[in-house]
This record gives sequence, C-alpha cells and structure tokens, in this order.
Amino acid sequence: MKPVKVLIVDDEIEFATTLAERLRLRGYDAKAVYCAEDTFAIAKSDTPDILLLDLRMPGMSGLEILMTVREFAPNIKVILLTGHIDLEEKIEGIRISNFDYLMKPVDINELTEKIDKAVGKQSNVG
Amino acid sequence: MGLEKQHELRIAQLNFIGKVLSVFTHELNNHLAIIKESAGLLEDIMKFQKAQDKESLAESLKTIYAVEAQVSKSAWLIKNLNSFGHRMDKPVTSFSINECIEELLILLNRLLNQRRVTAEKRFQENLPLMDGDPAMAQLLIFCLINECLGKIGEEGRIILETGYIKGLIRIIIKPEGSLKAGPVDLFCQEAPPEHIALLLGGSITRDNGGVSVLLPLMQDMG
Repeated sequence: MKPVKVLIVDDEIEFATTLAERLRLRGYDAKAVYCAEDTFAIAKSDTPDILLLDLRMPGMSGLEILMTVREFAPNIKVILLTGHIDLEEKIEGIRISNFDYLMKPVDINELTEKIDKAVGKQSNVG
Repeated sequence: MGLEKQHELRIAQLNFIGKVLSVFTHELNNHLAIIKESAGLLEDIMKFQKAQDKESLAESLKTIYAVEAQVSKSAWLIKNLNSFGHRMDKPVTSFSINECIEELLILLNRLLNQRRVTAEKRFQENLPLMDGDPAMAQLLIFCLINECLGKIGEEGRIILETGYIKGLIRIIIKPEGSLKAGPVDLFCQEAPPEHIALLLGGSITRDNGGVSVLLPLMQDMG
C-alpha cells in the first residue's frame, strides 16, 4: 500500500519541517514547503493526497493558496491550520464544504486521525 | 483636556493594546507550536528507534538544542511584552524613545511580516531620556506605523529615524517602496496622531508620504 502523501505548507520553517519528520516516522510521505510558489510547484508535479495548510501566510493567504491549488487539483483534501480562535466561524463554514481544520499547537494523534479520515473519504469518492 | 477627548484617547489606547496583544499572542502561539513539535519529535525518536545509535543520539541532541533555542526566543519575546505592560505603570516616567520604538517593533513583528514589510531603524545613539508617558508615545508611533502600512505595498520598507535637534526629540517615520495613493488610513478616527502628539507637548508635520514628529524632552502634564 502506497504511503499517504502529505504536503505541509507553513511559513514557520521549524514547525513545518519538524511536523513533516514526525509524520514520516509514522509512515506518511510528508514534505514541507514554506511559500505559495513552492506549494504550486509540488502540487502540480507530485500532487499530494493531503494539503496541510497554514491559514495565515505572508503575502498570499492560506485560502488564496487553496483556491489556486484547487484549480489544478480539484480533489485534493485539505486540512487548515490556524492559531486564531476568531477565525473559527469562518472555518466552520469552510469545514462544511469538505474541509477540515486544526488549531495550533497541533496534537499529532488528532492530525493523523484527520489525515486518515480525509483519505478514507477520498477513496470512497474515487 | 475635556472628558470626551480623554475617553476617545482611552478607547484608542485600548484598541492599540488589543492590536499588540492579538499580533503578539499569535506569534507566541507559533513559537509554542514549534516547541511542542520539537519535544514531540524527541519523544518519537525514542519511541520509534529502540536502540539509541550514534545517529539517533545526534538527532535527539539537535532537537533538544532546538527546543532550548525556541524557549529562549519565546522568553525574550515575553520579556518585551512584560516591558510593554509596565510602560503603563506611571503616567510620567523617564524613558528612552529608541527603546520604546524597538520594543514596539518586536511586538508588531508578525504584523509587518504578514505584509512582507520590513522596518529599518536609523536610531541616533545616546539620545537623552524623555520624561512623560511612554505608553502614549508608543501609541503615537504605532498610529504612524499603521498609517505607513496603509500606504505601502508588499516588499516595502518603513524607515524609523530618531534624532535630537534643538532640545527636541525628532522621530521620522516614512514608507519606502511602491506607495498607494489615497487618504491617510487612521488607526483611530477620534484620536488622530496630531492629537496624541499635542498631548505629549509635540507636533507633527507630514511630507512626501512620511511623517516627522517633534517631542519635547519633558512632557507638560499641566
């Protein structure tokens, strides 16, 4: 069985690289990128199963990145990362539209549960 | 100053404190997230790699150092927030304007980063201390930085210059890069920077998108 491909997008380099390492130790094929441009490049060349996306990025916001990625990878599953409580309402709306979200700091077990659940949903659809 | 003006200024100050706290706590939350992940990675290394060979031991040590560095960085950030809080202890005290601006820039770092704007400090060293309300001076600086952010495009710069001229402290704040045309974006309509500068006994002049503030060394509290 192929490992689940996860692309972590976060401008906090230490956070993204450490989280990718922890996911790799758990058998996921995890990569980390720190800006919108690299996200688009990887999402086009080696489309991940899951995009783990920070909402607040310098320049292009997480949601703007997501909308662009969705143009060429419409079936990609997305888990949004946020440190903001005040965004919960917005995220709730997004969640209904087949997204999921996690608050920072992340609980690794909660994250892997969400990834597995999202991939399961995807395979059901596919 | 009338009661209404005092009330407006108090609201502006509370908005300012709220803004600083929300920006800062977001940044601190990111630091805690990194610490949590680093500690988690250390736990994972011990859990997943049963034998502590040389390679995994080196990885563990690297992670421990990363945790220590992140804790130090977070403690330094908290120290600045603590100092910011203490600026409000007394309405009149001796303070360094350079330190006030420096502290504000540290607390607002994320706000600038989000806009891909950098702050360039051109501080004159050994400026005389001021006697007055440092919290009000920080509110004034923040309002002017906020104005610059409204004018500036991405990848721009905000120049913050301090100096001592004819017995007055001069602060110049100007945006550099691609500038947007349009009206000045005031942080608080009811308490514009001119009013705050006046309260500090000083004045403001605007020129070519930049702002020059002159403040006396001793704030008249009468």
